[in-house]
Amino acid sequence: MADNAETSAVPDKPIQVKLVLLGEAAVGKSSIVLRFVSNEFQANKEPTIGAAFLTQKCRLEDRVLRYEIWDTAGQERFHSLAPMYYRNAQAAVVVYDVTKATSLEKAKSWVKELQRQANPNIVIALAGNKVDLVTASSAAGASGAAASNGDDDEDEADDATATPGEDAGEAENPEGLRQVPKDEAQAYATEAGLLFFETSAKTGEGIVEIFTEIAKKIPIDHILNGRGGASRSAAAGAAAADAVNLQNNAPKGKSPCSC
Amino acid sequence: MEINAVLTLQHQEDSFAGKLYLFPPFLCFVSLDRKSVRFTIPLSTIRRVERLNSRAGVFALSLVLWHGMKMIVQLTSMRSTAEAFCDRLRDGLKVQLQLGQMKQVKPFAKTLYSETLCGDSLPAEKSKDGETSPLVDVGATAAAAKMGVEDADDGGEYHRGLGSEFKFPGDAKKLREASKIKLWTAYLRAHGRHLTLARYPQCTRLIQVGLPNRLRGEMWETLSGSLYLRFANPDVYQSILKEHDGKTSMSTEEIEKDLNRSLPEYAAYQSEKGISSLRRVLTAYSWKNPELGYCQAMNILTAAILIYMSEEQAFWLLEVLCDRLLPGYYSPSMHGTLLDQRVFEALVQRCLPLIHEHFTSVDVQLSVASLPWFLSLFINSMPLIFAFRVIDCFFAMGPKVLFQVGIIIAILKINGEKLLEIQDDGAFIHLMRDYFASLGDSAHPNSSDPRVKNITNFQELLLVAFREFSVITDETIISERKRFRAGVTSTLESFSKRAAIRNLKFTGRFSKDQCGAIYDLLFKAIWEEPPRGTGVTGSVDSTGRPETRISMNTFKQFLCYVASWARNELVVSNGFQQRIQRDVVDHALINRLFYSWDYSSKGALSLQDIVMGLEGVMFNDLMSNIEWFFKLHDKDKDGSLSKDEVLQLSESLLFIFRNEPGDAYLGAVSRFMTNAFEYGDSLLEKGDDATGDPEEAPTNQPYLTLPTFRMVVLADEILESFFDSDLSASFRFDEPAAPLPDEPTGLLGGLMSTILTKENKNLFNRVADEIGKTIGKHQVDQRPAIGKLGKELALQEPKPRETLLTPRQRSASSGAAPSASSPEPSTLSSQSLPNVSQLSLSERTPVPPVTPLIPTTIVMERQTFAIDAAKDDDEEEDSMYAIGGDDDVMDEVDAFLEAHDSGLTDAQKAEAQGEARIRSFGAASDIFLV
Ligand SMILES: Nc1nc2c(ncn2[C@@H]2O[C@H](COP(=O)(O)OP(=O)(O)OP(=O)(O)O)[C@@H](O)[C@H]2O)c(=O)[nH]1
Ligand SMILES: [Mg+2]
Repeated sequence: MADNAETSAVPDKPIQVKLVLLGEAAVGKSSIVLRFVSNEFQANKEPTIGAAFLTQKCRLEDRVLRYEIWDTAGQERFHSLAPMYYRNAQAAVVVYDVTKATSLEKAKSWVKELQRQANPNIVIALAGNKVDLVTASSAAGASGAAASNGDDDEDEADDATATPGEDAGEAENPEGLRQVPKDEAQAYATEAGLLFFETSAKTGEGIVEIFTEIAKKIPIDHILNGRGGASRSAAAGAAAADAVNLQNNAPKGKSPCSC
Repeated sequence: MEINAVLTLQHQEDSFAGKLYLFPPFLCFVSLDRKSVRFTIPLSTIRRVERLNSRAGVFALSLVLWHGMKMIVQLTSMRSTAEAFCDRLRDGLKVQLQLGQMKQVKPFAKTLYSETLCGDSLPAEKSKDGETSPLVDVGATAAAAKMGVEDADDGGEYHRGLGSEFKFPGDAKKLREASKIKLWTAYLRAHGRHLTLARYPQCTRLIQVGLPNRLRGEMWETLSGSLYLRFANPDVYQSILKEHDGKTSMSTEEIEKDLNRSLPEYAAYQSEKGISSLRRVLTAYSWKNPELGYCQAMNILTAAILIYMSEEQAFWLLEVLCDRLLPGYYSPSMHGTLLDQRVFEALVQRCLPLIHEHFTSVDVQLSVASLPWFLSLFINSMPLIFAFRVIDCFFAMGPKVLFQVGIIIAILKINGEKLLEIQDDGAFIHLMRDYFASLGDSAHPNSSDPRVKNITNFQELLLVAFREFSVITDETIISERKRFRAGVTSTLESFSKRAAIRNLKFTGRFSKDQCGAIYDLLFKAIWEEPPRGTGVTGSVDSTGRPETRISMNTFKQFLCYVASWARNELVVSNGFQQRIQRDVVDHALINRLFYSWDYSSKGALSLQDIVMGLEGVMFNDLMSNIEWFFKLHDKDKDGSLSKDEVLQLSESLLFIFRNEPGDAYLGAVSRFMTNAFEYGDSLLEKGDDATGDPEEAPTNQPYLTLPTFRMVVLADEILESFFDSDLSASFRFDEPAAPLPDEPTGLLGGLMSTILTKENKNLFNRVADEIGKTIGKHQVDQRPAIGKLGKELALQEPKPRETLLTPRQRSASSGAAPSASSPEPSTLSSQSLPNVSQLSLSERTPVPPVTPLIPTTIVMERQTFAIDAAKDDDEEEDSMYAIGGDDDVMDEVDAFLEAHDSGLTDAQKAEAQGEARIRSFGAASDIFLV
């Protein structure tokens, strides 16, 4: 505890928020993080082995948050490792791919597991990624999207040609059909008490919003009071001490912020 | 068949004593120290075996290999053994000849780059020694001579990786490719190549400075042994592809997703050529090994090795990797990965106790960072050129995991000081990332000696790794793996355990470990006594998730483990052994407990119910225990007991005290009853005059209130002391932890359980009892549940591992326990270890001692690490450069630098000029992935 007091003496130390990304392989978890953290997109991102770790600071009103992001591997056989990463997490982004119906099923099972096994106060956001592949159709209204295959085809073709950096991977899956209607996912999210967004790591659509809304919804006072569920006592203690400084220094807070 | 032998290669001065093994179709040699010299050559590469003149009793063979290399092995075992060995060798060779294997060698050799390097080697020297008597002459001399001609065309057919078209990572000049190739050419000429490669110390040294790109694939094949698979299974790769052409599977789908995501920075994987190679190798392997299928990380590994080797070579290397070098790493359960993580963490604890301690204290898990290292052999963690050098060593070194672990421990050690400052997982990962990024930098940037300055962080890492590598022995790894294997099998289960525990909404005053103990006992009970009936299956909790619930029968089993009064505990002695038998009992009190803990009235208990139930009694003080016991018997929860209930309560007390010696407890209960009825009646009279005669009050009417009950209890010393502490203390979790899923006899624990089945044990116990009876030694003692009175003091159970006693009690019971003159073995608790040795000492029968008293975990926990008390880190640091292995590497680096300039013979220089035609590769920038 003694050294906690020391570290917390540093002014403006942000509130740590541990966030974990879960979802089927190749739905774009790592791409979402990359977009959020460095505002980049890589067409062929390597699959994540085990998990990757990134951080991003973020200001929300008068508070500075520091997201500690665990980006996990999506393949089923890595599943048993996931608890190692979502333990103590205060937030989770569960990602699916709007062009792949099965990925929503997987997302649902992740949500279930989190609600069952993770920190009870965890804030969960559901993200339907790769919405750029179905952009025009989603604008036209999600309700009809599932039915209008032909239209989507064209939309997709336009989109693909218009976007530089698109390549072979896309050609393999040229239709980019929306398989998950937005309202269906929305309904599920509402029912399960999740934040919901459709996103595109490629265009950046909806990415920052996820993290902002999560930041708003996180029971920060809970974290500050050291009651942040399973959060480690050390971390919680440090955060609690910070809060004072944070409040004092908030106006001149100098942390970069993407929110 | 094996035989002692001394090996000498033609034109080489050194001879090595060792053992020659004949495992058809291979002939192997291993020098006595098991590392200096080794070879494994297929018999089909032997063209001629001659027995040399056996003057002075020397028995020696001259072996001529297909490319003309000659080696002399002197067989130093008894002559008859040597004769027999020769016979077997001759037979083996004949079989190979008949199988047509001999003819396979040459075409196969053409697939290898080293033939291009050495193809102009001289044909085998004809033995001019008239005294030799050929044992076998396969007539290959002509073939060898012919070959020289054929291979003159620069061996255009050799298998090569994508690198030869898309460039190899790294700057060829900086990597000193040309001189490495020269050195290797010289080495391969003298010591054989691919199938016939003999590994001399020089070979290891050359590997340690990094294999040259062109030779790398072939050397990986040779060193890992996948070469032999490819040799023995021609066309298999192609036919698997053909057979499954167009088919899809779950694995092929998963592979498809990752094809564009495998070393995407490397040019080949931006082209259809590279992608389709990768696709073919991965899918072929998934068909070959469908249980394994495809695991992410394999794509990265395969993409990496395909830079240096052909698809077919990569396919077989993948087989060796998944099957032998990294067993279980990529399997669906990934148990191998988990196992080696454990081994690794244990070794860190042992080698770097300070770091281990620090990590534990700040709650950082090593595996968050190390897992990807293990899975992808550093390929996606280190700059590629360095990762490939690690892989070079990985294939060359003996026990592979060990090597990896050595590297990682070295990484931790080098970064030790910084590691001690990190406070969370994130900082740890950042530190490692920065370190990997600096591998190419000088380790001694301020040194004035340019040679020292030239030593990179990477070289330093290898130095430290080789030292760690020698500190940790094969045996350590083997025993560590054994130690953790069972644990890991259940780790997979324990994910659900941890989840279940984390999921508990209420744990009260229980620690996580205590909840874990409850979980273990619960599942042990379920194993022993599967729940049945309604409310058990398909049960879901309030949030709709499925949950395990147990029925009454299982609960009794569970309570039998947990509460000392809820079992009959027999101490059986039969002259051979003493054991404790715990039998489930049946009583209304247990039913009562069951229903009072069934908080959601499901007729079945969940883990949460049990935790809550136990929490409600195990931490109680006198007053709350009295209340607890009272409420337990107040069925209608109206705040008072009826007459019936008072009777039932008394019965419960009698049940609890049934095994206590003497009649003190009996007396206490009867005093209690007398008082209770006296008070009850008097209160009843006062409270309700209308009822008239109290004797006639209906037995289900309110009769005894809590305050009255309390008063009655407090009036009696024995009861007071029972409610004060004994009741709470009668619940304990001192059972062996986690029953292993593959070990149905988890109850018995201990090592024997791996040998004996439960049936066997029971059988054995019965037999031992019988014998005991006949020699008059059989004795069964009922153990008391509370055991506080009189001579029974000595029988008091020793304090449990996770003690739940109050401090006061703890001192009380530890005061009692050491009266160990008692012949009694202690119960299932950590204290039983000394008894175990006692027991086995007194064991006289040839039958393995059955000691069902050893909690598995204890046995495992106590072993290894107590012995080698934590080593001082600094001390090791000092001796770092004094250890031989390091010097070797240093020498080697020096030697390399020298050879680079002047170490070549004239012939080699001439050779080197010839090499100039080898295309030099432009300065392809290092592919850098972190
Ligand atoms: N068109 C489009 N492609 C995307 C988007 N997000 C990711 N991708 C592509 O989808 C593929 C997978 O993305 P990743 O971010 O690696 O997916 P992941 O979920 O991290 O995958 P794992 O690490 O295997 O679990 C990559 O080729 C990305 O380029 C998106 O928003 N739009
Ligand atoms: Mg990823």
